[in-house]
Formats: sequence, structure tokens, C-alpha cells
Amino acid sequence: MTGRLGLYWLDGESDPRTMAMYSNTSTIGSRTRLVVTAILLVLASAEAAAHHSFAVHFVADKIVGVTGVVTEFSFRNPHGVITLKVEGKDGAAQQWKAETNSPNILRRRGWTEASIKPGDRIKVEGYPSRDGSNYLRLYRVIFADGRELVGQRPDPTAPSGAD
Amino acid sequence: MMPTSMLARASLLACCVAVCCPVAAAPPSLEGFWAVKFERSRSGQALVDELPKGAVLINDTGAKELAAGDFGGLRLKPRAAEQVRNYDPAQELKRENTCVAPTVAFYMQAPFPMEVYQGRDLIVLKMEYFDMYRVIFLDGRSHPPAEAPHSKSGHSIGHWDGDTLVVDTTLISAGTFMNNGFDSSEAMHLTERFRLSPDGSTLWLTQLYDDPDTFDGLAARYMAFTRKPGEYVYPYECDPSYGN
Repeated sequence: MTGRLGLYWLDGESDPRTMAMYSNTSTIGSRTRLVVTAILLVLASAEAAAHHSFAVHFVADKIVGVTGVVTEFSFRNPHGVITLKVEGKDGAAQQWKAETNSPNILRRRGWTEASIKPGDRIKVEGYPSRDGSNYLRLYRVIFADGRELVGQRPDPTAPSGAD
Repeated sequence: MMPTSMLARASLLACCVAVCCPVAAAPPSLEGFWAVKFERSRSGQALVDELPKGAVLINDTGAKELAAGDFGGLRLKPRAAEQVRNYDPAQELKRENTCVAPTVAFYMQAPFPMEVYQGRDLIVLKMEYFDMYRVIFLDGRSHPPAEAPHSKSGHSIGHWDGDTLVVDTTLISAGTFMNNGFDSSEAMHLTERFRLSPDGSTLWLTQLYDDPDTFDGLAARYMAFTRKPGEYVYPYECDPSYGN
């Protein structure tokens, strides 16, 4: 990597954590993957909004995804947190958490406390934690019906990227 | 009815007063709701150009952040160097630290909006980030003595330099300066210049930092805000239960 944002899907990685995510990652069409990758590659490096340091805690130039069932959704500052129950590759249940950028910022985009509910089956995509834990900073939520909620965009300097 | 000659003399007198004793123009109004403006290039470059030569411009405003070990080109003093060596990011996620607010040397550049209330002798900034407030005195008073209590927002006095609001702030608590373990000290002296764009839609701000206990020379940040009538600052109400 050269410091520009890349989109990493989880195939081809040997890390057990990412392999577990791969086993739960929904398939994405190659054309869509190409388009999304191309868009992200031309954008500036991922930069963040956080009361704690995003750059210190998360990998800015990598996006991973995990699919599971929501067990809890907290929508309070400084960060919202989505807790997911995920079935690992070995069939064992894992707990994953995805923190959002500030709920105040997300409220202005239409998010509410009821945007995500326990029992929802969702895919979360985001920036992985540097410590290798089952934790990420949310880029977006994709619901089973295809709806999306966007959290921290890869390029907040874009006109609509007010994170 | 005033005689014509008297009317002419009165008009002449009014003209003389206007020429000889010009009334100071009213300062521009900064009132309103201001959201961070995400710019690819600086629309307020002129304000940046007015910074002292040699000041290091830190490129971490808005949603940007510097990674651990990157201090934007500043040369750290021994105290600060020791502090960053001992930086433990995990401590930031502890429940007791989650809702520790940053200081004015950091929170102005956060990607959150503010409301500005402007009077002749006083300007108040209501910040969304951590529900912070700033009070800027324009009544000619001085700063309290150095032994007075320090706070996150410090003590601010300001004046108008033409169309530019110049704010001088001292008595700032030690606290987050770069969000990567690099903190400013209680010796921080902050000088800010606020200026409206000609069309009034953008508010430009430079912050100039002098903190001889922390880094060599001077550092600065540039920020831009866009006016959004009819919007409001939301309560932040930080919830420490986010921490572990």
C-alpha cells in the first residue's frame, strides 16, 4: 500500500480473524467490487472523526466486512456501538462490535436510536481495529433488503462527507 | 420650517463631522450556526498567509488526524517527547477517560458545529463538541493573573482589527493537542483570527499556538466553517459507558 485507501475484501488473507469474517461476508459482484475499489482508490486517505484517535486505533486504508445478527445497538456520544452475534467458520458464535462516528453527526443524516434493532441481520463494513480484536469503525451498514446506512465515509473531504 | 441657509450650514457641518471624525464601521456579524466546511483547497488562504513566518501549519483539522508518532513537523520539547513515548492508546478507551473533553487548542478543529452569539462587548461560542462554551470579552479587560484557575476554554479577550476578530486566550488547561498522545501544557498561549468571506457564507479561522514548554517555535491550524441558517447545535451529553 502507498497510503491511499484500498478496499480489501477478505478472501486471500490468512489471519484467523479475517478468515472468520470471510466466512460470514456476503458475496459482492465483481463489477460492483471493481467500481467501489476504483472510487475508493482515487479518494484521499481515510481520515476520521473521533474523540479518541481514529488513526491510532483503526487501520484507515483497509475495509473489512462481517455479517451477523444485532444483539444491541447503543446510540450515544461519543460513539454509537452495534453489537453483533456472528457465526464463525467453525460454527462457534463470536461477538463483534462496530463503533459509529458521533451519533450527533449521524442524526443529521437521518439516523435514530431505532435505525438498527436487535434481531436485524446486517452486514457491517468498516475499518479494522489495529489490535486485531473483533472491533471495527463503521463505514456502512447493509441490511438484508439492500438498504444502507452510512457512517464514516472513506473520504470526509468529499462534499457530502461531513463526518 | 428650517430656513434654507440654516439647512445648508447644517448639511455642511454634518459633512465635516463625517470627514473629520469618521464613525467606526460596525464589525461584521458572525452570529449564527456554523458547520465545519470540508475544503479540498483553502478558500481562506489569505488568512493563512498572515500567519507569522516559520509557524508550522498542522494539517489535521476537520476530520483529519495525525497517526501516532506524527506531530506535523513540530520539534517536541523534552517534556512532550517523554509524554508521547509513554502514550498508551488503550487508556483512551477506559471508562474514566472516555468523556474527558479536549481544550480549545483542539476542540475548535473538531468536525462539529457551533453557534455564535455576538454582542458589542461579548461574544459567546456554543460548541457542540463536548457541550463546550467559549466567552470572549471585547470590553477592554485584561487576562486574570497567571495563577488564576486554568480551564478547557481558557480566558479569552478580543478586539476587532478592521474586519477581523482577533482573540487572545490564556489560562488553558493542559490537554489534547493532536489526539495521538501529544498534549499541550498550561503555558499554551493561543491567538486566533476570525474573518468572514466577502459573501458572508464562510467563516475562516486561524489558531496560532505558542507553547514553549511543549514544542519549539510556533504552530498553527486553519479552519473553515459554512453558515447554515435555521440549524442548531445538538446536545453532546457524552456517555462514559462507551468505555471499557
